Parts: sequence; structure tokens; C-alpha cells
Amino acid sequence: MRFWELCRRNLKETYRDPLALGFLLVFPLLFMLLFGLAFGGDTASTFPIGVIDNDHSQISQAFADEKLAEVPVFELSTYDDTTDAEKDLKFGELSAYITIPRGFGQQVAQKWQGEETDVILQMTYDESDITISEQIISIVNTVTRSFARIEVPVTVNANPIHIETEITFIDFMGPGIIIFGLLILIPTSARVMVRDKEKGFLSRLLTTPARPLDFLSGYSLCLVAIAIAQIILFMAAAYGFGVDIVGSLWLAFLVFFLAGLSSIGIGMVVASLSKSENQAEPLCWLFAMPLAMLSGCWFSIELLPSYLRDIASAFPYAHAIEASRGVLIRGVGMEGIGTDFLFLVGWAVGIFIIGTFLFRRSMRS
Amino acid sequence: MTSNGIEPVKMDDEFAIQTFDLTRVFGNLVAVDGIELNIKKGELFALLGPNGAGKTTTINMLCCLLKPTSGTATILGYDINRQPFRVKEIIGVSPQETVISERLNPLENLNLIGRIHGLDAREVKIRSQQLLEIMGLGERAKDQVRKFSGGMKRRLNIMMALIHNPKILFLDEPTLGLDPQARRAIWDYIVQLKGERTILLTTHYMDEADFLADRIGIMDNGKVVALGTSTELKISMLGKHTMIIYAWNITQKVIKEMRSKYAEVEVTDGTMIITDKKLDFKEIVDLLHSSGAVVRSAYIKEPTLDDVFLHITGTELRE
Repeated sequence: MRFWELCRRNLKETYRDPLALGFLLVFPLLFMLLFGLAFGGDTASTFPIGVIDNDHSQISQAFADEKLAEVPVFELSTYDDTTDAEKDLKFGELSAYITIPRGFGQQVAQKWQGEETDVILQMTYDESDITISEQIISIVNTVTRSFARIEVPVTVNANPIHIETEITFIDFMGPGIIIFGLLILIPTSARVMVRDKEKGFLSRLLTTPARPLDFLSGYSLCLVAIAIAQIILFMAAAYGFGVDIVGSLWLAFLVFFLAGLSSIGIGMVVASLSKSENQAEPLCWLFAMPLAMLSGCWFSIELLPSYLRDIASAFPYAHAIEASRGVLIRGVGMEGIGTDFLFLVGWAVGIFIIGTFLFRRSMRS
Repeated sequence: MTSNGIEPVKMDDEFAIQTFDLTRVFGNLVAVDGIELNIKKGELFALLGPNGAGKTTTINMLCCLLKPTSGTATILGYDINRQPFRVKEIIGVSPQETVISERLNPLENLNLIGRIHGLDAREVKIRSQQLLEIMGLGERAKDQVRKFSGGMKRRLNIMMALIHNPKILFLDEPTLGLDPQARRAIWDYIVQLKGERTILLTTHYMDEADFLADRIGIMDNGKVVALGTSTELKISMLGKHTMIIYAWNITQKVIKEMRSKYAEVEVTDGTMIITDKKLDFKEIVDLLHSSGAVVRSAYIKEPTLDDVFLHITGTELRE
């Protein structure tokens, strides 16, 4: 059980280091607190939103009168045409207006019957105020699973009925911030491993009968334990900050766990390629921060140009945010997040294999 | 050798460590150049040489951290190339850099290495407490190591090499960078270990090799350029003695007489230095007295290992 002794040593080295611990746990919590204070629960401001129903169907009316009207931060007013709505938007009377186009009801009805179709909503908003428009888009996006003038794939919009009606901004951002916390595992994993390599601890232990696999399991087990502690703490904190959790906690945990494993794997790869902590740490941040932004940890990635979204979707984090958001705040089950989940499993397993291979090789040199 | 490969490949009861044309090359640099060593069981052997002589590279190969470019070595009969994990089970290593988990206390550090070597928790605890008492760290057993002085960390470094009671101990520069008091404490402890186990120690301090070692191998540019006990090295390598006399009234007549008897005689400001293969202390002092000189002090200067090193390599050991 050499790996177990190594794991215990690694854990002690981490939890007895207040800086490392603060960085891993407190830093993301601070983000959550700030977002929570800024946008959470009752403190959120309300947005005057205009609705133009060009469809005049029962479904479009239900959507406007029930779904949109139930969003607590929206103050809805109905318009007959775009002229008045646009005038009010220009004068600041409205934050945005939503146009329900002709055929909306039919599209939704087809969707409910399981047919392949796209649901289109149009949204016009004041671009100058990025934070407000972002929040409105996030909320409208979550409520309708559609965006301003962008077509939405069928599967995503399949269950508008199940949409949690009291989705607030903190509900929407909570999973993103949890993923940001797990992204911090990249520099932490790299640091834990490179430090031992740099300071000669690894060489020292290579004069003992410990095998490379003992080291790798020792590190991995320790980091996995850290990831689990992080996830539990962050989920509890998210709940504390007012994120309404409606879906399966276990499924959400699993999604976060896979994201955490991917971070550990990436950290292992960086540790293998770096010679010193000073080399590894900036490399990790250079990777983790843009990825946090592109993956939508702090704001909705729907605001990003499509090529940036493509980059983000090559990595596990955007998928993890999407899936965990689906599970936590909309109550989606495994059937709804299957593709994202499989992608996460593939990434976690793949990067772990690569990391293990590279780190073993770097130990021999 | 049995089919499972765990038996020693060579059995030579006399030797604990043997190297056979052991060589390591880094790019164009031949760090260790075909060294042949035979270190007896229970012997404390010191590899003495300046920084960059190849001492640490030799130790790193012997404890299976570095693969030799060519040649091999056996540790209690186990081949370092073919049976590295057998070798690792029987050796204890105290590396040149003090490598300790800083946020663990001494007991936890010792426990880690002991458990990795397969000791059970109870054994580790008993041995740790013994070692900590002997090394004078008993009272600090539960303090995090990062608060320790350099000397204390060094002592712990050595304890970590000893926790599993290894038959072979490698001490790479055990007192590097320590103050004289801390060095002395470590020397005293190493002296206690002598005879119990085979120790290979590297150092670039002549006095350390002189004080501790049963035999010394002088290394320079990757080669062992001289080998023997401290006395053997000094006498056989130099083959001459020096006598230094402080006296008043040294006359030209007595200087002339001395020069007729001994190979080299130098006189400056009341100090006479006589060097030859053989010196007769009494005869020299009597001669001076009878010439009317007043001898204040006189002694035979022992050659130092530095003199030996200078003699062999043409450079000073301390750079």
C-alpha cells in the first residue's frame, strides 16, 4: 500500500498549506459570493421587457403570459408591433423586447410531438449595457432554450414545460463557478507534482522500492480526494447562495467529478512537460483562465462568436457547465445530457491516460 | 541465480559494493569514467573529490537513480542494471539535497519512508522514536519540519535513510553547508554507525574523509585517482616528511650541516623547514642545540589529504 502512504503525505502537504487550501477552496467561493451578492435572489433588479406576439396562437400566448411572466425579474408589457417597442427601448423604458414570430406555436407543438424542428425567438436589446443584456439573454435562454435570432436544436428545447420558472442569474451562474473552482485543479495538480520533481523528492523516493505506479496513484488519489471535497463544498455553497437545485445531486456530482478528473489529467500533462514550478504555474493559468472564460464560467457563452464557442466545446468544461446546469436547475436526467456526459467521460479517461504516460516517462529522465 | 531472478547474481562474501568499469556519459562529458571499486562489508568508504568530480553521479548510479552508460555494479551481489528493485530494498540513501516533506513532522516523514520500505506501523514507530532520541530530535518529533534549522533537517535526512535498517547506506555530502558544531554532531552519529553496516560517503571536505573513513577513494574528473586508508594515502603518495623548527640563533654553520644531511632545508626568520624521505627528530634537535641555537618548538608536519590531492592532480582540492 505504498501509494496510500504517498497519497496521505500529499494530502497532508496540501491541507497544511493555508495558501494552497485558500486558493483551492476559498478563491472560487469568493467568486460565488460576489456573484451571489451581485445577482442573487431578492437583490436582483428587475428588467422591463416588451413582448410582441406575432403568432397569436394558444402556445405563444401561454409562453408569454405564463412562462415569461413567471420570471420574477421580468416586468412584462405587451406590444402590438415593433415600432412602439423599439421607441421604448431607445428611450430606456425597456431593457429588451422579445418578438414571438409567426409559426412559433406550431414549431413548439411539433417539438412536443417529437418532430425535428427549430424554434425561433427574436430578441432585441440594448447592446450598450452588456451586463444587463447578458443577464436577460441568460434568463430568456434558460427559460426558452433559444436565443436572439439563433435557431435552437430540437433536443435542447424538447421540454419547455419542465423549465424551472424561478431561474435567477445565480441559478444560471452557479454551475459555471463550480466548474471554475475545478479548473483551479489544473495549476494545483501541476504544482503538487512538479514541486516534488523540482525539489528532488521524487528522486529521493525513486531510491526506495516505490514503483512509478505508486507515485501516480498516490498523486491521483490525493487530487481526486481534493476534487471531491471541492465539489461537495461548492455545491453546498451554491445552495447556500440561493441556487435552486431541482435535479439529481448525484448526476450533477458525477458531471463535476468528470470535469475535476479532466483538470487533474491536464495538470499531470503540464507537470510532465515542465521542469519547475515557475514554469508549470504560468503555463496552467495561461490555459485555465481563457478556458474558464470560453467555457462560460462567468457569463453565458452565447455572447461569444461561434468560432470561440467551437474552441470551448473541444474542451470538457463548456460541456460540463451545460450538463450540470441542465441537471441542477432544469432537472434534466441522463437522457437529456447523454452527449455531453459521454464527451466528459471520453475526455477524462483520455487525458488521464496521456497524463499517466507522460508523467511516467518524465520520471525516468 | 534462480528463475524468479531475486537471487544475487554474484556472491562475494567479502564485498558489499563492487563496481565494474562503471561509466556514465552526459553528452560530451564523461562524468564517471570506468571506475572499479571494491568496498568491503562493514566498511566506511569515502569518495573524496572536488565538486564535479563525479561522486554524486557514482552514488546515483549505485542507488539505481541513473542508468550507467556502460559497466555495472553489484550491491550485496544484486546487479544495479538488472535487479534495481532488489537493490532499492537493501539500501538507504541520504541525498545531497535535503529532501523532506516540509509540512510533515519528523515522525510522519520517517513513517512515509519506513512504510514504503514495507515496515509495519508499529515497527516504524519504535524505530523512529529510537532514531529521534539518538539524533537529538526527540522533543521536536511533532513539529513541522519547515521550522527546523539546516542541521536538524540534515539529521532527519540521514534518519530517513536509516529508518528501515538498511545494510548499505549512501551518504551524499552529509554535512554540506553546515556549521562546525552541526557537522561535528553528524560525524559523531556516523561514527556510531561504523561497522554495523557498509557506508559509502561522498564529501569534498578532507577533514571529514580523514576523520570518518576506513578507506578513501580520491576522485577527479570521473576517475578514482588514488585509493587507500588515510595514512596509506598520505605516506605512500608523498613518501616524504616535513619538520618545522622555530629557533633563535640559527647559525650558517648548522644550516650547512643540515643541508649536507637532508634533501631540502629552508630557513626564514627563525623558522627552519626540513623535508626528506626520512627525518630523525632527535638528531635534528640535538644538532641545533649543540650549535648554540635555542629551539622554541619543533614538530613533524603530517601531510594532509589536500597535499595528497595536490600531489596527484596538481590542483588544490578546495577551489
